[in-house]
Amino acid sequence: MKDLVKGIINENPVFVLMLGICPTLAVTTTVENAIVMGLSLMFVLIFSNFLVSLIKNFVPEQIKIPTYILIIATFVTMVELLLKAYVKDLYDTLGIYIPLIVVNCIILGRALGFASKEKVFSSILDGIGFGLGFTLSLIVLSAMREIFGNNTITIMDSLTKITGYQMIYKVLPNNNIFPINILLKPAGALLSLGLLTAFFNSIRLRKEDNQ
Amino acid sequence: MNKFYHDNGPHIKSPYNTSKMMKHLIIALFPIIIFSVYKNGILPYSRGYGTLLSAFRPLIMILLGMLTSLISETLFIYFVLKIKDKEKLITHLKYSYAIFPGLFLALTIPINTPYSILIVGAMVATIIGKMLFGGFGFNIFNPALVGNLFIISAYYSNIAIQGGYLNKLELDTITQATPLTNLQNLNYIDTYQNIVTPFGNLWNFLTGMIPGTIGETSAILCLLGLIYLLFTKVITWHIPIIYLATVFILTSFIGYYHDLGIWYPLFHLLSGGLIFGAIFMATDPVTSPTTPIGQAIYALGLGFLTVIFRFLTSYPEGVLTAILTMNMFVFIIDKLGVKVRFNLKKLSIPLAILILIIGTTTYYVATNINKKVTDQNFNVIDVTEIDNQVIYTVTHKAYHGLIKAKIEIDDNTGKITTIDILEQNEYVWNQIEEHNYIDKLIQQQHNLDDLDTISGATYTANYLKQMVIKTLKEYSQNR
Repeated sequence: MKDLVKGIINENPVFVLMLGICPTLAVTTTVENAIVMGLSLMFVLIFSNFLVSLIKNFVPEQIKIPTYILIIATFVTMVELLLKAYVKDLYDTLGIYIPLIVVNCIILGRALGFASKEKVFSSILDGIGFGLGFTLSLIVLSAMREIFGNNTITIMDSLTKITGYQMIYKVLPNNNIFPINILLKPAGALLSLGLLTAFFNSIRLRKEDNQ
Repeated sequence: MNKFYHDNGPHIKSPYNTSKMMKHLIIALFPIIIFSVYKNGILPYSRGYGTLLSAFRPLIMILLGMLTSLISETLFIYFVLKIKDKEKLITHLKYSYAIFPGLFLALTIPINTPYSILIVGAMVATIIGKMLFGGFGFNIFNPALVGNLFIISAYYSNIAIQGGYLNKLELDTITQATPLTNLQNLNYIDTYQNIVTPFGNLWNFLTGMIPGTIGETSAILCLLGLIYLLFTKVITWHIPIIYLATVFILTSFIGYYHDLGIWYPLFHLLSGGLIFGAIFMATDPVTSPTTPIGQAIYALGLGFLTVIFRFLTSYPEGVLTAILTMNMFVFIIDKLGVKVRFNLKKLSIPLAILILIIGTTTYYVATNINKKVTDQNFNVIDVTEIDNQVIYTVTHKAYHGLIKAKIEIDDNTGKITTIDILEQNEYVWNQIEEHNYIDKLIQQQHNLDDLDTISGATYTANYLKQMVIKTLKEYSQNR
């Protein structure tokens, strides 16, 4: 249980460890993108953790990293081909950031730092935990950017093809102040990431102080 | 036993404490505020534009900015820093000069900014620009400029709909926006008649009767403020004077290269927020270097960046971004300034490199702006006129070598009558002839963008089309 929870709160990959910032900044323009990106990474993370942990006794120290990269790349290719086959629009939007999951520091970090040392079951739990942590952070960040930057929440738009119904909600009526378009631009991504990191860390540190 | 006394910067020892400095600053700003109320409010009202409320709009904006800053700082201290004791709260506010971000923000935004946007900007300036960095004395960036940048980059389209920088009177009398936007639209180099005359003459620039933000337009009142601040020793001369001198020298070099008179650098000096920024923004004691040498380097960088931003980026005004950029380097400049304080020889090599960079970049700017973009693919070899017929002999790049053609245009109708292909080396020319593409070009010359290309000879057809389009453009430009 501890393996599952730590990735979500205490060692949250985005807001605490500051890992995987590149896709975090780039794809969080809509909630839908964030969900798909997070789930893709979670899928790759769970299976790579599982396989790495399974073969940890057979892999020589010298070729550890190439082996792990090979495993990760396999799953990333699977995700990429699946997305390309079923949701072409999303695949085009996410673009280079899906193939780049191969070199995402969260996945390689968990493979090297956790899965190659621990038992299979706890590695899977660790993968789920960190995957959830990443997905939730992305959803929070993208919700903030989309609500204030575009006045909408898009949960299913390109996914309509598979699920059958569309979910785009209008949150606020357009007025003088909202939408703040700058939040959808790269500068706005950095600004909102910084503000959210400060917010979550102040809560976390205050809790630690109280204990 | 406390050996060191901890206090917020600046740590200048003088009979003037920060509280007195701020009082002098307000006195120096007073004429500027009164002038802006006169120019943007009372003058349009007296000529019959707007209501009585709009006559005091500048004053309301300044007060609203100050109030928002004060309230948001109080709330931040109360709820985030959790200082709930009333006396402590008041002391805290007294020594953090809470009104200044909002005051300077209101002075540096367009007059037509809606009040709600001003409130958001003042909150961003105070909370993100100042309090999140640790409050007064710890902020890296000038808070007012952070708010200003936020407003301009997030809401400029909203403000432009309301009329942008022009007040009610100017909206009726002046067609251009600010002088610097006009300069950018003219591609930076043009005659006195085009650059200055739309706004009167340079005397208007000096007195401030030109479009611009609320506080920045009146150069002479800003200079009066500079003299007052120098006299009361609130600031030293280094930053404003070196900053303005750098901009003057660099722009006069650019003007000299293009054979423009002394008015060109003066125009650059007097337009936009340069003088206001140099005197009131760049000298902010918290976000500027403390040593004289550091201040000189800082001002040199500011002048250089302002010129670069004005000429090479899509934003007409460069002062704001230049100050924010140089704010990032204040820490390094301060370290350098302390290091070379008693040994100026150490500074010679970095300074030489800096001046070399400034010189070469300015030379690049001077030689490269306002060049006519020449098309490498298209060349007009010859133009002849025979009774109402203009005959262009042109070449255009094609798939294999060049296409040379003689294109005849009827001068009465402005239409192409014949196209003679003189030379071509295309592999698929038979396709072009088979489809009578040249005839189609002549028939559809008024709407060439919709003309389909030929499958099998796409490239060649496209180049031919481009050639005709460019010839027509050349013809319409010269007639």
